[in-house]
Amino acid sequence: MKRALVIGGTGFIGLNLVDALLAEGIAVRVTRRPRSITAYVRRRPVELVPASLEDAGQLAQAMADVDVVFLTGGYYPRYSTDRDGAIARGIAQVRNACVAASEAGVRLVYTSSTGSLARVSKGVADERAIPETIPTHSVYCATKWAMERELERHLERGLDAITMIPGACLGPQDARLGTGGILVAAIHGSLPWWVEGLVNVVDVGDVATAHIAAARLGKAGDRFCLTGHDMMLGELLRRLVARYGGRVPSRPLSAEEACARADREEAEAEPLRRRVAFPRELVDLVVSGQPVSSERAVRELGARFRPVTETLDRAWAWYARHHYLPAMRAMEEST
Amino acid sequence: MSDVETRRRRTREILAEISERDVESIKESDRLREDLGLDSLQSLELLSVVSEELRINLPMEDAMELRTVGDACDFVEHSWEVAQKDGAPPRREESGERA
Repeated sequence: MKRALVIGGTGFIGLNLVDALLAEGIAVRVTRRPRSITAYVRRRPVELVPASLEDAGQLAQAMADVDVVFLTGGYYPRYSTDRDGAIARGIAQVRNACVAASEAGVRLVYTSSTGSLARVSKGVADERAIPETIPTHSVYCATKWAMERELERHLERGLDAITMIPGACLGPQDARLGTGGILVAAIHGSLPWWVEGLVNVVDVGDVATAHIAAARLGKAGDRFCLTGHDMMLGELLRRLVARYGGRVPSRPLSAEEACARADREEAEAEPLRRRVAFPRELVDLVVSGQPVSSERAVRELGARFRPVTETLDRAWAWYARHHYLPAMRAMEEST
Repeated sequence: MSDVETRRRRTREILAEISERDVESIKESDRLREDLGLDSLQSLELLSVVSEELRINLPMEDAMELRTVGDACDFVEHSWEVAQKDGAPPRREESGERA
């Protein structure tokens, strides 16, 4: 692999993937949209090209002369308010990427989500847990499921594609505050509520490394879960507060209360394009959380998952350095 | 208009575009969050556009500290001066950009 295209390289997983590729001496091209936050990726020696997943022509140009395309910036609905619209947009974006990759004859490594997996009644889920029908409980899960099925349609027509299925990614470069927004809010003592459930905590750096291994070692149609460590959200928040300070409400909301509260807050936030502390998609992922095995990625890609504490320290250090968090003596004392 | 005034004016124009306001209504004393309604992501968008237009790298570690329009203008100006001391901004082909 000499040159890679990262679609979504200005985002959280994408930036970490860019760094991992550069560290291996691979030339990197990154797509950017008109409103992309490019200030971080510009500090790296990458080629920045205009391309949107809405524009098949731009994608085709961006994919010229690359050995592999990583699609880390697939659509996810910021608000769970328009199910049909979210699904349609997600499918259209994946379709554009798949068509362009097929025409370019290039391998596509697609980043999906554990939200696309089926709940298993016994044992541990893995990449084989695919719902037979589109999920009905969650706009986010339905969208991610539909995007994967679109990818499969192109696989059947000969596309060389691999699907990566990461859990809740934490770590550095989270400028937009994805799952890490909960951590920042907890350390600030401003997390208004939370809901209990199982989360699959994974370091974004480990996810990035596994993406590169998949591009090299995977076969067309392969799927790999990257889920790191299974733990209850309450336990994660307790460990966080014990290590870095902060505060979380002592009792979680019930699943029903959390869904209703997230829906209400998103309805209020969407017209103002504001973000909410605990989005509905995260509620859906937490309350339907389940143990997920990454055994296949470990066995076939050599994937490794660092301890949760190391991941939290890495995330904390980045947030602190970028002033998302107040500097805290506790951390300095522990190192 | 001096280069400094041009850069400050351009920063306010980008702010106006992102906050969907008239540039003439934006004062340097305006607070990004409370007065212009910008969230942290929109502040990062602002700095990204400025960074690309001026072809300078910004010290993003300090981006979250910006509170007012004047802070943003000062931040950009300081970064511009540092870039000039370190050498002229790279030409397009040197930075590898096709954008």
